[in-house]
Amino acid sequence: MLRRILTNALMWLVLIIAVVWTVIPVMWMISLSFKTYGEWRTPSLLPRNPTLDNYIMLFSPQALGIFIAYTAILEPIVGPLSRTLIISATATVIAVMIGFFTAYGASRYNSPGPFTLFFTLLTRMLPPATFVTPIVIYFTTLYLIDNIIGLILLYAATTVTYAIWILKGFIDAIPVEWEEAALLEGASPLQVLFKVIIPIARPGLVVAGLFIFLMAWTELLFALVLTNLNVPLSVQVSKYVTAVGALWGVQAAAALLSSIIPLVIGYLIQRHLITGFTFGLVRG
Amino acid sequence: MGGEKASGEKPKKFDPDRRQFVITIGSAIVALGIGYALGYLTKPVERITTTVTKTVTQTVTQTVTAAPPSPTPTPVPEYPELSDVARRAVLGVKKLIADGVVPKGATLRILHVAGSKAQLEKAIELWSKYVPEIKVELITMGTEPDVYTKAMSEAVTKTGAYDIVTIFSTWLGDLVEAGLAKDITVYFSKYDPEYVGPNAPIEPLGSYTTLYKGKRYALTLDSDVFTLTYRKDLLNNPKYKEEFKATYGYDLKVPDTWEEVINIAEFFTNKKLTSPRGGRVWGAYFYVEPAFAAYISWTNIFLEAGGILFDLETMDPKVDSPEGRYAFDILLKLKPFMPPEAISAAWADLYDKYIHGESVLTAAWPSLTKMAISSPDSVVKEVTGTALMPGVKLEIGGKPTIIRASPNPVNWVGIVSNYSKYPEASYLFLQFMTAPDIGLEVILSGVILDLFRESWFKDPKYRPKAAAGYGAEFLDAYLESIKISYPDFIIRGGPEYASKLTTAVNAVMAGTMDPKTALSTVAAEWDSITKKYGRDAQLEAWRALAQLFPEPIKMAWKAKGYMK
Amino acid sequence: MPEKPPRPIKILSSLPLNLLLNGVLIIPFIIMIYLALVKWSPLVGVNWWNAPFGGVVNFQRALSDSRFIEALGRTALFVAIVVPLELLIGLLLAYILQKPFRGKRFVISLLIYPLMLPPVVVATVFYLFFQPYGPVNNIFLQYVIGPRALNIYWFLDPTLAFITIIVADTWQWTPFMFLIMYSGLSAVPKRLIEAAEVLGASEWTIFWKVRLPLIKPLISVAVILRSLEAFKVFDYVYVMTGGGPGTSTESISLYIYRLAILYSDISYAAAVSLIVLAIIFIVSYFAVKILVGRR
Repeated sequence: MLRRILTNALMWLVLIIAVVWTVIPVMWMISLSFKTYGEWRTPSLLPRNPTLDNYIMLFSPQALGIFIAYTAILEPIVGPLSRTLIISATATVIAVMIGFFTAYGASRYNSPGPFTLFFTLLTRMLPPATFVTPIVIYFTTLYLIDNIIGLILLYAATTVTYAIWILKGFIDAIPVEWEEAALLEGASPLQVLFKVIIPIARPGLVVAGLFIFLMAWTELLFALVLTNLNVPLSVQVSKYVTAVGALWGVQAAAALLSSIIPLVIGYLIQRHLITGFTFGLVRG
Repeated sequence: MGGEKASGEKPKKFDPDRRQFVITIGSAIVALGIGYALGYLTKPVERITTTVTKTVTQTVTQTVTAAPPSPTPTPVPEYPELSDVARRAVLGVKKLIADGVVPKGATLRILHVAGSKAQLEKAIELWSKYVPEIKVELITMGTEPDVYTKAMSEAVTKTGAYDIVTIFSTWLGDLVEAGLAKDITVYFSKYDPEYVGPNAPIEPLGSYTTLYKGKRYALTLDSDVFTLTYRKDLLNNPKYKEEFKATYGYDLKVPDTWEEVINIAEFFTNKKLTSPRGGRVWGAYFYVEPAFAAYISWTNIFLEAGGILFDLETMDPKVDSPEGRYAFDILLKLKPFMPPEAISAAWADLYDKYIHGESVLTAAWPSLTKMAISSPDSVVKEVTGTALMPGVKLEIGGKPTIIRASPNPVNWVGIVSNYSKYPEASYLFLQFMTAPDIGLEVILSGVILDLFRESWFKDPKYRPKAAAGYGAEFLDAYLESIKISYPDFIIRGGPEYASKLTTAVNAVMAGTMDPKTALSTVAAEWDSITKKYGRDAQLEAWRALAQLFPEPIKMAWKAKGYMK
Repeated sequence: MPEKPPRPIKILSSLPLNLLLNGVLIIPFIIMIYLALVKWSPLVGVNWWNAPFGGVVNFQRALSDSRFIEALGRTALFVAIVVPLELLIGLLLAYILQKPFRGKRFVISLLIYPLMLPPVVVATVFYLFFQPYGPVNNIFLQYVIGPRALNIYWFLDPTLAFITIIVADTWQWTPFMFLIMYSGLSAVPKRLIEAAEVLGASEWTIFWKVRLPLIKPLISVAVILRSLEAFKVFDYVYVMTGGGPGTSTESISLYIYRLAILYSDISYAAAVSLIVLAIIFIVSYFAVKILVGRR
């Protein structure tokens, strides 16, 4: 009995430590986003004269203060925000769909074979810096520069391997007998796919989807090189490191704002993370 | 969750048969085709509409033929309020438009760094007053390295995405050799931006920021010469003067040599003063940070000591020399009197420390002085003094002389892209925005561009405005500093040479490498860079650049036999 | 299951993948291999398709480049430290969070928040954190070792700088491991747990004998994916230490970035990348074989 209480208390302690550890840098970032220019280099956790200037500057680019009067950034953040939303959402849908079908084929029929599967990992093994020049050359020929389709395709291609591997792990766990039973009952292979596998592999779809969305949402290097005027959010946030020294406060504000959408998504998908292998779901 | 397989199934081994190969290649080609089509259909809308040109020319022709013949066409406005330089630029553009070389409604695109919007925006605002037919658009990048990346990218893909790029002079060599920067010598002759005469950008800066291998590739937009900034109140304090004289045996004054800098730094650091915000006051703060600026301080001392970067006959790196060791000697002696953050923080930290009163002697770009006298956070507004950079005492022709030189790191210049559709118009925009009158307005409206034309310092038409922005005392010291300023490594591979040097200097300051090893490492690395691009080609560029160094340094080189 | 996949499955499971990967990535990859085999840089002034042939020159240069080898070793050390660390903490947290309680969804959202921030921003925050004027020295360490804390300069000492990068990476990516473990543990059939409990097994035994084996494949996937990413660590090093002091914290990704983007040494950078790729490929081949098992 005592042992149980002790273990429980210990677990709660660990949880609290983890939450505090996670939250402190975030809280500091939040307070940074409300600090005035002079306070950016101070360790205080709370701003002395809280101000909304950093946030205002994101939406209507204008002066921030006397010396910083010359460091307004041109574009309000709404444009890049919507652009990134479209890019990330589309890339995620494409990658997860393709990943799902591939994972299913790989898991049940070995098509594509294990070596091909392993090969897809190649896309994640390469340090990105050298890939920049070839991709720029290639995309320029295809008119995919400064074009959201270019980024969508690139992100989908480089993250599909995540979807494949995560989903394969989930699909492998589903006993084959269920599908065989469904097939025996006269369902077509596609129906089996949609009615049996997908509901049970939902956590996998959701987890893979979230990671891919996040990777597309926060990717910087290729977004920087492949766009000029139609920049996505991550590039826009990078502009706040300006020629007159980094605008920490504004950057913090921009980063916080740009993390709201992923946060909301992360919260909403949680109910899909628990499938509960409810037996008896096979029919239908 | 082990993988359950129906019994009897054999795992398929990797079997790269011909079919797989065909499928791979086939799908690649199909995807290529689809991608091309998709991209073409959705490519960003071209901002220039050629139809506009056609309509304009047609109407003009018709009107002319229909109207009765008039002896003189409508007189072209003379723009008396503009300086000659600006007027020539405006008239030049108007002529280009009239000749149809540049269509009305054309857009010039400038690749620029973010955060200095005001200055280019001012330039664009003034431009559109006089030349509304040609729009100018800014494409901004967050940090300077991003501008460099984009420019190099453009050099490879040659898309014509930018007409003008504002770059660091350090990159000029790279961008010329990469084929991006256009040779604009012919435009200099045609439109005369007055690089000679009372309005000229102060030599040698005007030359070394715009010439490469003897030809013009850029217009300078800026000057970035370092000056020694010091706390007048502390150096003039009678009590400190007494104590200093007692300890060091000579009067406390603005330092002329680096040894004197060390003495002053030691003196004030030992006083353990505190700043208004509670920080420690350090005697000195010179750049030794790792991101890019460490090379500035080392090179400053090295050159003043008479060191030469590369041999003028062989292009051998000459950093592993007595002058190089001397430079490290000075820096290491200064180390205990500089804040430890100097070795790890970013360049802006030096500014932050000085304006909060936490350093006594420091050196940086003109923006430091501007910030010190006008920022609301500055506590040193009244007490900031400016002087020439300290020098090194050498024997020249039997007489001891103090050789002084000021670094001019980075320095924004404007280049015209070789792949621009409207190179001449782009050049004229740059000439316009750097004209004596327009240029001064542009510079005073922002932070990162600084004065470079001599008339702004001397001509009563311009000087009051400049003095209002910078302070009169600063102006005079700055003018003198520009006259003895030396260029960055403006040869191909310049950024790489500088980066290797910065890493080594920073390592020595952090204590992870000793000076001897650092110097020989840098020499070896520099040599391999030179080999990479071809010794002769690099030598040609270096020889041309060396001629543009300021007189004091050339004097020292000749005295030491490095230069004939 | 029938041995041969039915037609629609066969097409669906390989054609889209092929189209996507091959259409987008194969040609640039071939260009990269070409660049590694020639001696080219944009600064040389010739078009890239006219570049002089170099053969294995770039590769030879890489093998005798001590900065490259050191960066490689350093990065491998980094991976060997952070991945197990993140795995253990993530697993622990995932286990603890199996029990339902009020506000669980909120807590989980908090815990995975670090993933929502761009790595550059996280790097900036920790950069400010570890500055002499930052909270670590001025607030947290004060409690542990008092005023001496003000004299610690994190970015001046190679080891301390290395630690800061580990801290940043752990902060951001432990949630990744946590999320995968959590979804895996949640999917363990309740029936099995109940059965084991009925049989009188303790919680510890249940964990080791029931839950862990069932999520082993997911653990392997998580470890592999995370290791691959950790090896490419870039943002934290670039923003926080700049590879410094000197080059003592330079990761392989940063070195390649400098080569390709700052020095425009494209051919050499391509060769270095290919060598790195080959090494990772071989290592992960064996890792996958061991962890995931033959199929």
